[in-house]
Amino acid sequence: MIQLRIYVVDDSKSSAKAIQELEALLEDKFSGQYSLKIIDVLVEPELAEVDRILTTPTVIKVAPEPEKRIVGSLGDRGKVLAGLGLV
Amino acid sequence: MTKHILVIDDEPSIRKSFLTALEDTGYLVETAESGEVGIEKLERKKYDLIFLDLNMPGLDGVETLRELREIDKDVPIYIVTAFHAAFTDRLKTAAADKIDFELLKKPLSSDQIVSITKGILDGATITYRGMP
Repeated sequence: MIQLRIYVVDDSKSSAKAIQELEALLEDKFSGQYSLKIIDVLVEPELAEVDRILTTPTVIKVAPEPEKRIVGSLGDRGKVLAGLGLV
Repeated sequence: MTKHILVIDDEPSIRKSFLTALEDTGYLVETAESGEVGIEKLERKKYDLIFLDLNMPGLDGVETLRELREIDKDVPIYIVTAFHAAFTDRLKTAAADKIDFELLKKPLSSDQIVSITKGILDGATITYRGMP
C-alpha cells in the first residue's frame, strides 16, 4: 500500500488544485492501492513541525520506503511520479 | 520569459537572503521593506510570485495580504512565518474569508529558497526532510 501525506492550507486555491491533481493522478495509476492523508497546516501546525515541512503544498510518500517528498506545482505528472519514486 | 518575484519583508537580512539565493536563477527579484511599499509595487506591475512576511510593523502580513488580493487575485502569495499556532492562528480568519495564500517556513537556507521557488514557478521539485 502506498501511503502519502499532503500538507496544505486547506482553503487556498493552489492547495485545492494540488489535492485535486494528486488525487486524480493516484486514482488513474494506483486506484485501490494508496492512502492519502490531507493535513491543514493552519489546523495542525505541530504535525508540520514534526515532518519538518517547509512550504505548502508539500507531498510526502511515507511508504513504501524510502520516504520521498516534493514541493511546488503538481501539474506535471511525470515530475510528480519521479519525485515521489513511483515510476 | 523572465519571471518576476517580489519579496516583502521589513528585515534587511531576509530581503538580502532572497536576493542572494535567487540571483543566479534567472528570476528577477525585487524587494519591498514594508506592506505599504509592496502594495504600491503591485499596483504598478505584475509579479509571478510574492513572498510576504507575516510579522511587520505598520501593515502586518495579514492586512497586506488582503490589500494585495484586492489588486491581484491570481498571483501566488506565500506567507513567510514560523509554523506555530501563535502565528498560524492569525491566518485562519483570512483563510476562512477565502483570501488565497500558501505558507513558507522561516528561516530557510539559500538552497531551500531556490528549490522551493523553482518548484512553485517551474513545476514539482524534490526536497528532503529538513534539507539541507
